[in-house]
Amino acid sequence: MPNHNVPNELLIRQANVLDPSTGLDGVMDVRLSSGLIAEVGEGLRGTRELDAEGLHVFPGFVDVHAHWRTPGREDEEDIQSGSAAAAAGGFTGVVMMPNTDPIVDRPVVVSGLARRVERESRVRARISAALHVGLAGERLTEMRLLKQAGAFCVSDDGLGTTSAGVLRNGMLYARSAGLPVILHCEDHTLATGVAHDGGAASLAGLPGSPASAEDAATATALILAAETGTKVHITHVSTALSAVLVGFFENRADVTADTTPHHLTLTDDAVSTLDGLYRVNPPLRPDYDRGGVERALRDGVLDFVATDHAPHASEEKELPIEEAAPGFLGHETAFAVLYTELVLKGRLSLTRLIEAMSCAPGRWVGGGGSLAVGSPADLTLVDLSEEWKVGRATLVSRSSNSPYLGRTLKGRVVSTIVGGAPVHDRTGAKFEVRA
Amino acid sequence: METRSFLTLEDASREDIREILDLARAFAEGRVGGALVDKTVCLAFFEASTRTAVSFELAARHSGAHVISLSEKGSAIAKGESLIDTVVTLDRLGADAIVLRHQAVGAAALASRHASAPVINAGDGCGQHPTQALLDLYALSDALGGFERLRGRRVAVVGDVLHSRVARSVIPGFRQAGMELALVAPLTLLPPDAGALGPPVLSSVEEAVEWGADVLYMLRLQRERMTGALIPSVGEYARFYGVSRRHLEGGALVMHPGPVNRGVELSGDVVLDGSSLIPDQVAAGVCVRSAVLALSTGAAQRVAA
Repeated sequence: MPNHNVPNELLIRQANVLDPSTGLDGVMDVRLSSGLIAEVGEGLRGTRELDAEGLHVFPGFVDVHAHWRTPGREDEEDIQSGSAAAAAGGFTGVVMMPNTDPIVDRPVVVSGLARRVERESRVRARISAALHVGLAGERLTEMRLLKQAGAFCVSDDGLGTTSAGVLRNGMLYARSAGLPVILHCEDHTLATGVAHDGGAASLAGLPGSPASAEDAATATALILAAETGTKVHITHVSTALSAVLVGFFENRADVTADTTPHHLTLTDDAVSTLDGLYRVNPPLRPDYDRGGVERALRDGVLDFVATDHAPHASEEKELPIEEAAPGFLGHETAFAVLYTELVLKGRLSLTRLIEAMSCAPGRWVGGGGSLAVGSPADLTLVDLSEEWKVGRATLVSRSSNSPYLGRTLKGRVVSTIVGGAPVHDRTGAKFEVRA
Repeated sequence: METRSFLTLEDASREDIREILDLARAFAEGRVGGALVDKTVCLAFFEASTRTAVSFELAARHSGAHVISLSEKGSAIAKGESLIDTVVTLDRLGADAIVLRHQAVGAAALASRHASAPVINAGDGCGQHPTQALLDLYALSDALGGFERLRGRRVAVVGDVLHSRVARSVIPGFRQAGMELALVAPLTLLPPDAGALGPPVLSSVEEAVEWGADVLYMLRLQRERMTGALIPSVGEYARFYGVSRRHLEGGALVMHPGPVNRGVELSGDVVLDGSSLIPDQVAAGVCVRSAVLALSTGAAQRVAA
């Protein structure tokens, strides 16, 4: 967690404050004290001030889908670099996925990880344990013990669950254990390819995975969520039909859903480059699906955005696309990509974007995503006018597999504050701390 | 000397194709000799091959090149060396051309980004097999009296289009030659978006003959796909998607990239029949690959000069 040796008070002056959860929208001051939001208003006084004129202040972003590769693949990312990347992207909270080596499926792994997070993470990192032992979709994990050890939720992310019966039992038990379930919906009898099963894959000769692989699994998951009453979150929705299915179950089940920046902004055209960089799961879809997912996010059918931040070593990406590992970096580019591609192009309001990056996921993890007085002092300061180019050198992550390398984006995170303390700080002249 | 990699037929223009076929003819007629003297051609075959490997080797030797063959067995490939590292090694050892066969789509494109020597795609997964399509065009031009005579002719590409790199090269190749195309296959052996490939889909060889096919281009059916989930049986496949003598009575020609499954894609009596161009396709391999090597390495300019 953040360094607590900083003065416990900070006054952020003259910022453009936008918080859809409280309706705050305008130039004002925010006073942080003892790790909480103490006061929001005009003409506030404080002992330690920072001038945020021209900057925007949002409730801290929350990413419920991150792979920090720890334990096991610290060459790709660890808690330090992963949390630094999250902080650089404006995220004050994340959920770490359990498909590590060893897999986070035993209480001792959870407690060990929890201790490391406490020592090494700059942001609030919550641990998702596995739903099934070895993510194998057979034996239930010891969910009550996992929760005692510090697990926040359970997931078999990276794999779909092959049997509906097994998934139903998993949901029921998770509900008894009081753990939400995050589901990666994919039917592996259908998802046998490396790209979306469409024109680009057909021309290239790449084995394809159809949209039905996701849609059939999403439908099954939603039906079971409604039947079991379990709190279920469906992650990385990438098809128009899956988004519609989620909408149908909105008021019929305790269900939420997210989609990713890349499924909102890239299409399967990218795979015609045959570059392993563009392999991801679920695959990039045609513009029809991209548009459907965008509409669902705009309408609130998809509740929020999650990045599926998935670092990979270069030797796993610089391969023919069929042999490359699936996944993209996400933390550091998420806001700027969505601001540049959706907000500035008039396809999504800034208010809805902040709702989807901060408020809704903050509510889901609990206690975050709001600037209401008394909330944790987790904030993101952004310069919406700054242009920057995504390059290997600008990335804080230990890996560099971003599909946006070389792109010029608008909107850059200037500072990220967790519990009242800056955990990422590019302030320079713009962001002076007066003692 | 300008060198260029040769990766796909998707981007080849009619003129590009004609240039290669003309040069191939010059090689076949013995008008060019020693085009590749002092050049080193590396054959890097990550996947088994007989006719492609042999004909590339002959093509290189006939033109005077040194040939180094690397196969999966007995090389660093077997020790798990990555594709990029193998290619960079061959490049730095002084290869003037790298001929690559690999099991993954895009392997040749990836290799070409890491080598200064030109890379020639000798087949990448289900992606492309451009020299196969060129030798097919060469053999067919010969049979019909010249490349110009291909224009307006009808060719049906029959069989496992889904898994075929040959299909992905011959389709653009035949199209550039001005031919009319149709695909003949069950939906389980067609790409999901067959429309992206272009041609209409017919449901049997019978129908292709009625459509007026001048050429029946048969694709090989991999043994592991002969029964089960994609097609019910060899018997049913051969009945609807196989060529027998009666299909050729109207004068249609039959082609196949080999190796043929006799009794599956073609009945046994058709393979070496007068209507079959299969032996001509094999024969065309050497001069066409000589031409591709000469153009890729820039040696063709030397020949012309």
